[in-house]
Amino acid sequence: MKSKLKLTLLASVVAVTTAAQAEVNIVSWGGAYTASQQKAYQATYSDPDSINFINYNGGLGEVRTQVESGNVTWDIVDVLPHEARVGCDEGLFEELDRSAFTPAPDGTSMDDDIMVELPNDCVVPQIFWSYVPFYQEGTFKGEQPTTIADFFNVKKFPGKRGIHTWPNALIEMALLADGVAVKDVYKVMSTDAGIDRAFKMLDKIKDHAVFWSSGAKPLELVQSGEVAMSLAYNGRIGAAVLSEGAKFVTVWDGQVLEEEWLVMVKGAPNRDAAMDFLVHASTTESQAEQAKFINYGPMRSSAFEIMKQGEPWFHNGKTIMEHMPNRPEVMARSVVANPEWWADYGDSIGERYTAWMGQ
Amino acid sequence: MSAAPETVSGPLITADGIPLKESLQKSLRRSKIRAALLVAPPLLFLIFLFVIPIGNMLTRSVDDKLINQVLPNTFEAFESWDKVSEPDETMFAAIYQDLKAADKTDIGKASVRMNYAKPGWRSLVKRTARKIKKMEPPYKEAFLKADDRWTDNEYWLSLGIMKDKRTMGYYLNAVDRTYDFDKNVVHVDENRKVYNLLWWRTIQVSIIVTLACLLLAYPVAYLLATLPMRIANLLMICVLMPFWTSLLVRIVAWMIMLQQNGVVNDTLVAAGVLSDENRLAMMYNFNGTVIVMTQILLPFMILPIFSVMKTIPPSYMKAAQNLGATPTLAFIRVYMPQTIPGIGAGCILVFIVAIGYYITPELVGGKDGRLIGNMVAYHMQRSLNWGLAAAMGTILLIVILIFYWIYDKIIGIDNMKMG
Amino acid sequence: MSNDDHLVRFVDIQKSYDGESLVVKNLNLDVATGEFLTMLGPSGSGKTTCLMMLAGFEPATHGEIYLKENPINRVPPHKRGIGMVFQNYALFPHMTVAENLAFPLEVRHIDKSEREQRVKRALDMVQLGAFGDRRPAQLSGGQAQRVAVARSLVFDPDLVLMDEPLGALDKNLREQMQYEIKHIHENLGLTVVYVTHDQSEALTMSNRIAVFDDGIIQQCAPPEVLYEQPENAFCANFIGENNRLLGKVVADEGDNVKVEIDGDAGTVVAKKVNVGGVGERSTLSLRPERVTVDPDPGSLPNVFSGKAEELIYLGDHIRTRFTVCGHDDFIVKIPNSAVHAHLKEGDTVNIGWNAEDCRALDPSD
Repeated sequence: MKSKLKLTLLASVVAVTTAAQAEVNIVSWGGAYTASQQKAYQATYSDPDSINFINYNGGLGEVRTQVESGNVTWDIVDVLPHEARVGCDEGLFEELDRSAFTPAPDGTSMDDDIMVELPNDCVVPQIFWSYVPFYQEGTFKGEQPTTIADFFNVKKFPGKRGIHTWPNALIEMALLADGVAVKDVYKVMSTDAGIDRAFKMLDKIKDHAVFWSSGAKPLELVQSGEVAMSLAYNGRIGAAVLSEGAKFVTVWDGQVLEEEWLVMVKGAPNRDAAMDFLVHASTTESQAEQAKFINYGPMRSSAFEIMKQGEPWFHNGKTIMEHMPNRPEVMARSVVANPEWWADYGDSIGERYTAWMGQ
Repeated sequence: MSAAPETVSGPLITADGIPLKESLQKSLRRSKIRAALLVAPPLLFLIFLFVIPIGNMLTRSVDDKLINQVLPNTFEAFESWDKVSEPDETMFAAIYQDLKAADKTDIGKASVRMNYAKPGWRSLVKRTARKIKKMEPPYKEAFLKADDRWTDNEYWLSLGIMKDKRTMGYYLNAVDRTYDFDKNVVHVDENRKVYNLLWWRTIQVSIIVTLACLLLAYPVAYLLATLPMRIANLLMICVLMPFWTSLLVRIVAWMIMLQQNGVVNDTLVAAGVLSDENRLAMMYNFNGTVIVMTQILLPFMILPIFSVMKTIPPSYMKAAQNLGATPTLAFIRVYMPQTIPGIGAGCILVFIVAIGYYITPELVGGKDGRLIGNMVAYHMQRSLNWGLAAAMGTILLIVILIFYWIYDKIIGIDNMKMG
Repeated sequence: MSNDDHLVRFVDIQKSYDGESLVVKNLNLDVATGEFLTMLGPSGSGKTTCLMMLAGFEPATHGEIYLKENPINRVPPHKRGIGMVFQNYALFPHMTVAENLAFPLEVRHIDKSEREQRVKRALDMVQLGAFGDRRPAQLSGGQAQRVAVARSLVFDPDLVLMDEPLGALDKNLREQMQYEIKHIHENLGLTVVYVTHDQSEALTMSNRIAVFDDGIIQQCAPPEVLYEQPENAFCANFIGENNRLLGKVVADEGDNVKVEIDGDAGTVVAKKVNVGGVGERSTLSLRPERVTVDPDPGSLPNVFSGKAEELIYLGDHIRTRFTVCGHDDFIVKIPNSAVHAHLKEGDTVNIGWNAEDCRALDPSD
């Protein structure tokens, strides 16, 4: 009896440890976004049980702690453009063998298939997402807001404005609203006068601003009427419209696109398995598959072809292309955020923005 | 009995001839070892989770070694530069040597550090480092070809801020000051001043929250201490309920209550107290932070006060009234002074927790209800400027110690009762 | 101490805490000016409740209390002007001794110089003149007790209440304090209402003792009367040592009755105090020191043979336990004189007592 018990215990310990060894920990943002990754990458993977998703709130604080202490438990992290660069520079991520990744159906290599310039060899393409203004149908009588300038115009479109508590995208949007051409935004931003100009535009909505810091908040703010218009992550708006039938209207003008990358933590405990999963997650097919579940744009342009031909592509039978932030039609009036600029000036602009918020 | 004891001129000796002192020490040794073993786990715990991290924090807040290790030649060349003329070939050659020799990650880390001194350094160093392998002398020309910002003397001048292995730069940053290129302490631009405002606001919020907690907790604690056991227990459960509820749930509940279209405003408008346009802004601002933090920290005030009140026999109040004091006077002169140890403990507890709070302010603080804790969290998690986060943490520690010291002066720390 | 000079009068007082049972049942009691009255009784007998009603901390459920002929039911405690010493003294721990004493004067707006003078006088009275700057925590039990007494007197109240004030002290100190309090009472001409459950304390100090049991005053009388002439079995038993013999009245002889002890153990002639007629049951009460061992034949009406079960040598007397009339707990205090030195355990001797020393009382239990 006793020995039997011991045996079972031993067996279960072995089972647990081997399972833990095989398990790849992938850290992402949770919610609908992680769900889309699970459906598009994990469910289609050859060994779905070996993948374990963990939620986090962004930032590289935890990754740096793990790497510095040598106690790495995370394998793959889903990171923002700024983190993708800083982390690679600081040696927090593994540099990956680019030849291992799958080319597009037409033979284009993955790195050339990505819509932006590859920042370094650590990153694996994920999606584009954007900061974009939206409002609830029926909020405004008569003329409806259609441009980013309308967002900053509280005389023409009265009501409070929901904006986030950090400066990214807001500086770009303010300049676009002030008439700066898309291609000149970062040129203007690189001058002190340009920054002053952006803050001057921000001043116009300051007294009407309600600040948010978590992605679900702007939807609540608009839904409850607390604000008339708000900026939000486009995926949140799309999810509410596509899946919950919310009557939100997105203003596809002056949005700021941000990259999202997957990276492997330096010294990841399951390096090979993680690499295998990264290769799978970054194929054209996987990227297109993800758009079935969330309206963030695939980073590989070849994925768009599959999606267009498959419309209605969204999992519940709705069409998806008009919710893609990086579809060709809206790119002319969109700014792709420049993480290099933000890496240089983010801290000082951040301080100025915080000071501005608190004044 | 009859045999006279030996003379007692020498040291005292036990029956078996061992000196008494030695014997005593031997008998005490066992208990000493046992005591040491008992203390060891908490002591190790304290060292690993308290002393080491705080030591690490203090080190990080002043550390500037890395940059000096990565760019030794550059700093040497910098010393012989006149700081006015355009940098010459020797300086470019020096930085070329450093960048070529350095590890890629070290360059990454160094460039981040340099960017604190002068925004732009990061991309400048990175872009240049990428092309360093193919560079040929003259290096000045090669560098300028890689990035024309190399002619901007401000980058070079900013090296002066980083040349020492220790820096007070993070502390200066944390109080809205910075070094100019001659390493004089100067104020930062007016429109970038954030931290002093936040420090002041943090202390303000902490004091207001502490006082509000005291005001609310005192009657509750009094009820708890004086009501019959059965009702008091029920009340105690109500007090502790928040402890058993997720912080986020509580905060969201407050949001529903206090926002512009929330329960409180709707009720006031429906009751005709407020007009629809003049709804109170109680959320996403200073008020929201204060209200929600007060509710969350209330138990920390109630419990110590309650535990002190519980020990005060009702006979004191009776005695005071018997001696001629009205119930009010008896309460003020006799009861309240005896609760001071509890008040002190509660205030210190609430104040210390409040001053480092960041989750609540993040969620309900909006534009003017965010506190210094939010900046520490931001620099820990987002900007990765751990030096600045450490400096702010150290300052927080000092502020707490100052308040602790003031408390000790006024009330006396021995007088504090946690329960 | 004339009868019409009453400082306190309890008239038909009833008290209930829960509305179901009475803690104090129809109490009527007068306290004369200058009297030292002790409320004595076991715990739960209602004595402390009476004191608290007098102090104003408990309202009377029914009836009225008069202080100097004024009804005080509606007067709050702080306006009654009654001094009180609490069980655990209730000295304010955050004030010095002097501040404690000054407190009642301060709230009465007495100016500072007089305040200091009276505090000093009160401290001197309890021989603690040098202790004014100490905190209560730095005092010994006896010192704290004295301070509590001084504080209750410093504002010159007519009436002082003491709620088991010596309960926390050890025996020697307690006896010493009993005398001190008694002296203060005599010297100042105070009226004191004192609550205790310690009968020897009550006997030592009081002018009069009200014996409480079950919410009723069983007897209220000076100590010697209470001891010598208890009116019921409870008082006889509660005050002092007492031998009880239970039986039935068989004959009424005017001043005396004859009582047949249960179990056919004999008939005792006893003084008729509190019994019904022939046939009723009675408790006989007999003090141990009133029993004579080996009496001269015919000198006492009651003589029985008793077997000495146990002898305890106590110096001035020998406490002896006999089996008499079927009771094996019959105590006799034999004076330590040569006459009875021969008595040993197991001896059987005659013991006897007078009819007037044996009181026929109500049948208890």
